[in-house]
Amino acid sequence: MQWPLAEWERVVRLSRRLRLLARLAEGVIAAGLIDRVPPEARRHLVAERCLSRWRTGAMLWTLERVAIMLGDASYPRVILKGAAYIGQDLGIAAGRLPSDLDILVPRAHVPDAQARLIQAGWKTVQLDEHDSRYYYEWSHEVPPMTHPLLGMELDLHHNILPPVARTHVSADVLLERLQPSKWAAWQVLDPADQVLHSAAHLFHDSEARDRIRDLVDLDGLLRHFGATPGFMARLPERSRALGLEEPLALACHFCVKWFGTPIPAEVLETIEAIGPDRLRRTWLLPLLGSALMPTEPDDSPSLRQGVAAIALLARYHRQRMPLRLLVPHLWHKLRTARHAADDVVDSAGA
Amino acid sequence: MTADEARLSRPLGEVQIAELTQALAGNGLWIDFGAAIVRVQSDCAVFAAQLRTVYGQFPFADQSEWADLHVRIRRPRGLRRWVRPQVKFQYDSQQPFEPFPADSPLPLFEWGCNWLIGRRLNDVLLLHAGVVEKGGLALLLPATPGSGKSTLTAALSQRGWRLLSDEFGAFDPEAGTFRAVLKPIALKNRSIDVIRRFAPQAVLGREFPKTRKGTVAHLAPQRDAVERRHEGARPGAIVLPRWEAGSPTRFEPLTDNSVFPALAFNAFNYSLLGAVGFQAAVRLVRQCPAWRLVYSDLDDALIAIETVWPQVVERRRASPK
Repeated sequence: MQWPLAEWERVVRLSRRLRLLARLAEGVIAAGLIDRVPPEARRHLVAERCLSRWRTGAMLWTLERVAIMLGDASYPRVILKGAAYIGQDLGIAAGRLPSDLDILVPRAHVPDAQARLIQAGWKTVQLDEHDSRYYYEWSHEVPPMTHPLLGMELDLHHNILPPVARTHVSADVLLERLQPSKWAAWQVLDPADQVLHSAAHLFHDSEARDRIRDLVDLDGLLRHFGATPGFMARLPERSRALGLEEPLALACHFCVKWFGTPIPAEVLETIEAIGPDRLRRTWLLPLLGSALMPTEPDDSPSLRQGVAAIALLARYHRQRMPLRLLVPHLWHKLRTARHAADDVVDSAGA
Repeated sequence: MTADEARLSRPLGEVQIAELTQALAGNGLWIDFGAAIVRVQSDCAVFAAQLRTVYGQFPFADQSEWADLHVRIRRPRGLRRWVRPQVKFQYDSQQPFEPFPADSPLPLFEWGCNWLIGRRLNDVLLLHAGVVEKGGLALLLPATPGSGKSTLTAALSQRGWRLLSDEFGAFDPEAGTFRAVLKPIALKNRSIDVIRRFAPQAVLGREFPKTRKGTVAHLAPQRDAVERRHEGARPGAIVLPRWEAGSPTRFEPLTDNSVFPALAFNAFNYSLLGAVGFQAAVRLVRQCPAWRLVYSDLDDALIAIETVWPQVVERRRASPK
């Protein structure tokens, strides 16, 4: 709180870009310190908290409407990520900025769930033949759905990683250990699986730049569930069962190194031993470190970060799809992107 | 006054183009709109002159500890620097929309700043409305695009009303006052000539043809409005304007329930603010007498407003709460 104004400016800008400003606001307000924040910065904290609460409210309303449509279904309905954190009253739910609602049902029941949602007015975005095939055959979710009255996109999953990914996660193993949430209509993943899902999402599923908020989530999950005796010791075994040893090791590495997350030394040792081998760690850790470390608000990513981002993107695509699928997929993306770019230029010139 | 203070208290309009260009290329220029401060940097040669005309009365500042918005107006690298050259808008290293032609940095800057203000100022209820003030009371002109809100706001600002904003009715629910978001008024198409004829002394920037809203020219805020941009204004009255070609001036009182949707459902963050937004909108509707104004002649429209204004002031004096 004793920062000079210029430092507050930096903090507000950075945390807004990293989508952590509302989380900062919730923390400062909960600690009773908001009056000691200079007024110039305080208004941004308060404003972003409003935004976060509004988006969270929109997500909860959407969840309620979806629950009504799927209410009498015979199969499990699972909420993931942000919705699940609220459904368990976790501290890390405060100050998140949800952009979509993620739910999961068993793969065999995806058509039924989708049909029920479409009947309730949900619409699937129009896709070309390639993209719809991509979703239906190679992805772990159906195309994102939108509703004219509900201001939140809905992602209907049947797994937490794509089925064609090198790391194959068995959805059955996930579904075996579902836990109740505070809503009767919805279940959540086992706490260990929640950590593994968040880690897989960060280290497998997308690009790492400006994703430090996922690491903050992981730190929060580990601290919260870590208070339960035996939880930490279960993590390595569970990561093996799901084939997610590497993301778990990476998550723990950065959480401990950057946030001092309390993980018992012997657990950490086991996690490291089943994680990436020494050679892989020597190139992967620095790459991820560069990509995850936020750039200053006024700086573009450094050359090092650019290289890291490209290398990690290549790794991401490699992990997500075998080359025989990846090459045609990227070719198609390139072609459609070029057509889209031509359209933009044409309409701008008109 | 020290030499440094003297250097900094100069209005932007009196600063040499070279000095402005240097500031833009370096640390940037800080412009205080009232409810928000922008820091802008640019490597675009024509930008300094365009800014200087329409922000001429704003104080020059090339250093400060704080800004709410951080904007860069940049020429792209590569082909677009030379072939059909463009400028792009960046904030906090992000680029939210398509570039503009290279000779139009000012409309891009104005549009981009409005976009950022509309997303960020969630500590106030942001109505989509023009706001002017007289005698400490605000006249709110909420309207949909194309209704002539900017034209009417511009006209009032040239006839003794203090301009707070032509775009944002920034109502601070705690203070119970409107805050200024003072920027040049973007006049579109026929409004440009209408205002030129109406107020020949008005300072307008150059015309930018073929923007997405047609031809745009910016009206510079006057000195008094700039000097008082940190002064709030209590709610006075609401007028819903509608420009109709050839129409005689019609000035009809409106009931609360017809004014409420014009405020609430035409706002940037009404639903985001939840109960606070609702209560603020209700309070405004209850406090402010409201009229619909259909007009084609600006002088006549202003007479209609001036005629009722003493009643508005009197009513507020009778019940100051």
